[in-house]
Amino acid sequence: MIDIETLRACVRNGIEFVKKQKDVIDAEIFASWNEHITVRLNYTSDIPCNGVHEPKSTQFSGIGLLAIFKAGKEIKVGFGSSSNNITPKGIAEAFQKARKNKLHDPDFKSLPMPIGKPVLENYHDHAVMEIGDETMIDLGWRALEGALTEFRQKNFNNSIIVGGDITILKERMAICSTKGIDDFDESTILTANITSMIEKEKVKGSGWNTNTHLSNFNPEESGRESAESAIKTIDGERIPSGTYNVIFGRQPVTDLFTNIVIPALSLSSINSSDTPFLGKLGQKIASELLTVYDDGTINGAVGSKRISCEGVPTGRTNLIHNGFLVGFLANYYLSKKFENSISSFIPRNGFRFEKGGRNHNIQPKICPTNIVVEGKEEVTSQSLLSKINNGIYIGRIWYTYPINGLAAGDFTSTIIADSYVIKEGKIVKPLKPNTVRINNNITDILNNIIAVSKDKKQTIVWGGEEVVMAPEIAIHSVRLDNISGFIA
Amino acid sequence: MKSPFLKSGRIAIASSKKINLIEGLKETVLKVIQQTSSLKSCKYADIRLGTNTIKYANAENGKAKGMGEDCLISFGTRVIAGEMGAWGYYGQPIGENESSPRSISKILTSGINRAYTRALANANKKAEFKPFAPSLTAVNLAKIDSYNDTIDAIFDEDPRSVPLKDVLTLCTKASRDMRGVSKDVQYTHIDIHTGINRELFCSTEGACIDQSYALTQGLVAVVAQKAGGIPEVCYDYMGGLRGWEVLKGKNIYKQPIVDFALLRTRETIELAGAEFLSATSEPVVVVTNPHFNALLVHEIVGHPTEADRALKLETAYAGRSWLFRNFNDNELGKQIASPLLTAYSDPSIDGYGHYRYDAEGTPGRRVNLIENGVLKGFMNGREYAAILSHPPNGSMRATEPHYVPIVRMTNTVFANGDRDPAEILGEVREGYYIVNHRIPSISESRENFRISAQKVYKIENGHIVKLYRGGGITADSKDFLMNIDAVGNDFQIFPIPNCGKGQPMQVMRVGNGGPTLRSTARLTGRQKL
Repeated sequence: MIDIETLRACVRNGIEFVKKQKDVIDAEIFASWNEHITVRLNYTSDIPCNGVHEPKSTQFSGIGLLAIFKAGKEIKVGFGSSSNNITPKGIAEAFQKARKNKLHDPDFKSLPMPIGKPVLENYHDHAVMEIGDETMIDLGWRALEGALTEFRQKNFNNSIIVGGDITILKERMAICSTKGIDDFDESTILTANITSMIEKEKVKGSGWNTNTHLSNFNPEESGRESAESAIKTIDGERIPSGTYNVIFGRQPVTDLFTNIVIPALSLSSINSSDTPFLGKLGQKIASELLTVYDDGTINGAVGSKRISCEGVPTGRTNLIHNGFLVGFLANYYLSKKFENSISSFIPRNGFRFEKGGRNHNIQPKICPTNIVVEGKEEVTSQSLLSKINNGIYIGRIWYTYPINGLAAGDFTSTIIADSYVIKEGKIVKPLKPNTVRINNNITDILNNIIAVSKDKKQTIVWGGEEVVMAPEIAIHSVRLDNISGFIA
Repeated sequence: MKSPFLKSGRIAIASSKKINLIEGLKETVLKVIQQTSSLKSCKYADIRLGTNTIKYANAENGKAKGMGEDCLISFGTRVIAGEMGAWGYYGQPIGENESSPRSISKILTSGINRAYTRALANANKKAEFKPFAPSLTAVNLAKIDSYNDTIDAIFDEDPRSVPLKDVLTLCTKASRDMRGVSKDVQYTHIDIHTGINRELFCSTEGACIDQSYALTQGLVAVVAQKAGGIPEVCYDYMGGLRGWEVLKGKNIYKQPIVDFALLRTRETIELAGAEFLSATSEPVVVVTNPHFNALLVHEIVGHPTEADRALKLETAYAGRSWLFRNFNDNELGKQIASPLLTAYSDPSIDGYGHYRYDAEGTPGRRVNLIENGVLKGFMNGREYAAILSHPPNGSMRATEPHYVPIVRMTNTVFANGDRDPAEILGEVREGYYIVNHRIPSISESRENFRISAQKVYKIENGHIVKLYRGGGITADSKDFLMNIDAVGNDFQIFPIPNCGKGQPMQVMRVGNGGPTLRSTARLTGRQKL
C-alpha cells in the first residue's frame, strides 16, 4: 500500500524535475495506487462447489506523465508511464517514454487549468483501506449465509444457486501540473451483487448493496433479498408478443443508462459521430418528465470522487433537463476541441478508470460518476402501478446493446429475473424469466415516459463503470417479444 | 547536487531484454514454488509470470493521436490449502525496477503467502458452513501430466524491430485515406498494436512451461452519413498471432490493413444510403456468411459449451447454459442441431485462440462440441473436469497473469462442409443473405439470440437483388441449429479480440468462424416507432 503523502511528493518533485527540461513547455504528472478485491461466490446445492469460490485481489501503482514539447513551430504531446515505481526513477522512466512518444496532435489545445474547489473531503473509510484477508472472505460468506438462510426458512433446499460477488475498491491518486493543479483524492467502495436461483422452478432473484464504509455495508441483506426475490417469482407465466406499458425497475434503468443513454451523452460519442443526439443540443430529446445529471459530489454515493483524474473538482453536470438535451460529459481534451464548434462543457469527467482503479497507464477518457435520474413530478412505486394499469414490471434485464450501432438508437435485451405481470394497477403474477426479448429504440423509450418514482437506489450493473441513482420508470408502448419457445 | 533523475535516464531496459527476463527468472520462480512445501496443508500452488512487450499507435481522421511502447510485467498465483481444500489467489503487476531475481523472489513469495492465507481462511469458513450447506466440497483437480516445455513466438517480421514511427505512420495514412474516400465519411479511426507475450507457468506438480506468442492487431472504425440521415457505423478488426506481416497482408482477408480499411469505408458509405431493413414476424430463409457465423458460433455454441457456465459459476454475470441443467437433465448425447452441423474448439490450429498449453499447464486439445448435430462435450479446466468426470481439455486462460484463469473459447468454430456457397445461395427462391457480424444480444442461457449484420441482401430466385442496412436475425438457438440445411465449404476463422467474461471482467482474444450456413430466422430491423 502506498500512502497519499508519497504520491503527492512524487508528483510535486516530478514537476520540478520536468520544469528543468529545456524542451518542455508544460507537463502533468499523475500517480496512483489501487487495490481491487473480489470475493466471488458460487454455491450450487446439487453440484459440488466452494461457496466462496474466489477470494482474490490485484493491486497496482504507478506514474502517468503527459508532457508538451517544443518542436520548431509546432508543439508535440507525449505520454509515458512507469508501473510500481513511485520514485524519482519512475518519474524519469515515464518522462523518457513521453519524450520518445511525442507527436503533433492538432486537436490538442492545452493541459487542464485549475477550476474551482473540491466539495468532498476525507470521505473514504480507513477500515476499508486496512481490511484484512479474513474479514474480506467473511463478507462473502455473510452474503451467502443471507441467501441460504432465506431459502431454508422458506423450505427451499434443493436446486439452489447463489452467485455474485463482494467487490472492494481502494483508490488513491495525486496529480500536479505546470498549470497550477496540485491535488489528491482517496476513496473506498464496497459493493455486493448477489444472484439467487431455484433452478427447477426457473426463477432468479437479485439483491445488491453498496457503501463507502465497512460499518454500513450489509452483504447478508443483499443475499437475503436475492433469495426472497427468486422465491417470489415462482410460477411465472409467459406473455404473448406485443406492445406493452411497462415499469422498468432500478436494475433495468441502470442497464439502459449504462449501456445506451450515458455513452450517447458523452463528448467521445460526439467526436466519433456515433450518437442519436448528434446536433441535438438544446433540443427536446425526451419526455419533459425526465431530468438526468452526473454528480460526483454526492456524499455516501459510491461513484463520488473529490477530483477527476485531470485534477478538476467533481460537480454536477446537467445532461437532460425536463426532456431537453443540455449537456454532455466531457474531459478536458474534448471540451477544448469542441468549445468553439459546439459549446463550452465543464470537463468534470476526465477519469482513468480501467482494470479496477484509477490507472496511471492510460490518459483520461470520459467516465460518469453518479448518474442521477429524476422525474419532474416523482410518484410512489404504487402510483407507478396505477399509472400503468395493465402491463409488465421489468426487474432485471441482460445483454442490453445498441444492436444497430449507438447512432441508430435501436437496442435489444432479454428479461431474466425479478419481473411481474400487472393487471388493474396491481402485481398479479410473476413473469417467467428468459421468455421475453425487448426490442426498442432508446429515443422512443425516453419520449414515452409516463412517470418516475421517488425512491432511488444506487445500482451498478456488470461491466458498468458508473453508479446510477436509479428510480423505477413507467414507459408506454414498449415492444416485447415472446422467445425461447422450446424451453418449457 | 547530482539529480537522481538524470542518473535514472539510463535505467530503461530494452524490450528484447525484458522478454528474455523470463529466461533468467525460471530458477527463481521454481524455487519459490518449491518453498510452498513448507506451508502446512498447502495442497497445490502455481505461479504465472508474464511479460507483454507492445508497440501501439492510433490516429483519427488522418491525425496522429497517440503512440508508445511498453513492457508490462505481472504475476498471478493460485493456492489450494486447508483441510477443506479451498482456493486463495493473489496477483499484481511488477515494475521494471523490481525485475531482478532477488526482487521477483520477494514479490512472488509475498504473493504466495497472501494467497495461502486466503485459502486457509476460506477453507476454515467452508468447513464451518459444511453442515449448513452439504454440497460444499474440497477442491479437487483432475489429474494431468506435468510438462517442461518452451514454445517460441512465430513471426516473419519481429514486432520488436518495427520502428514505432512506422506504426504511427500506418495509422495516420490509413485513417487519412479513409477520410478522403468521400465527403460522407464523418469519422475514421485506426488503432494498431504489435508485440510479444511471454508467460512462464510453474506448479507444485513440477510443471515448468514457457510460452511466447506474437500478436499483431488493427482496429478499423468508420462512420459515414448521407445528408440528414442516420450515421452508419462500422468497427472491424484484422489480426493474428504473428508479427508485423499480419498488417501487410498475411491475414484472413489477404490484404494490407489500408486496403481493408478502405473496403470497410466504401461499404459503410454505401450502407449509409441504403434502406433500413424491416423486421419480420415469421422466420424466413437466411444464408449467413463465414464472418457472420464467427459471432454466431461464439454466442450460441461457444459460450454455452464452457463448463463453468454449465456448472452455474457465471449465473450472476454472463449466464448459464441451456445445454446443462443438472447431471440428470442435460443435452449431452442429444440432437441439438442439424445432422449436417459439427462444431469444435481447437487451440492447436492457427487463429486468435491458438496456444500449446492453457493457464493450468494442461495441453490444449481439440474439443468436439457438436458432432453431426449431437452435443458431445464442454470446454473445461481441471476443477470443472473433475466435477463433470470429463478429461481435462486445457481451456483455461486469463487475459493477464495477475487475473484468475477461467474457461475461455479457443478457436471455436462450425466445421467445414461440402457445399459450394454459391450453390447454397443460388438455391434460395426467396430469402436473405446475412453478411458480416456486427453486435450480439443473447439470452441468459444462450437459448435465444439477436445478432445484427453489417449488411443484409434480399435474395430472389437465387440472385442478390437489394442491399439493406440496420438488419440482422433473431431466433431460438436450437431452432436455428436444427433448421440448418446446407453447410458451405468456405471455412474461415476470424479474430474476435473482445470477448468479455469474469468478474472483474476479462476481455479475451478468441478465434471464431465457420463456413457459409443456410437456415431460418426472423429478420430484425429498425426499431423506431
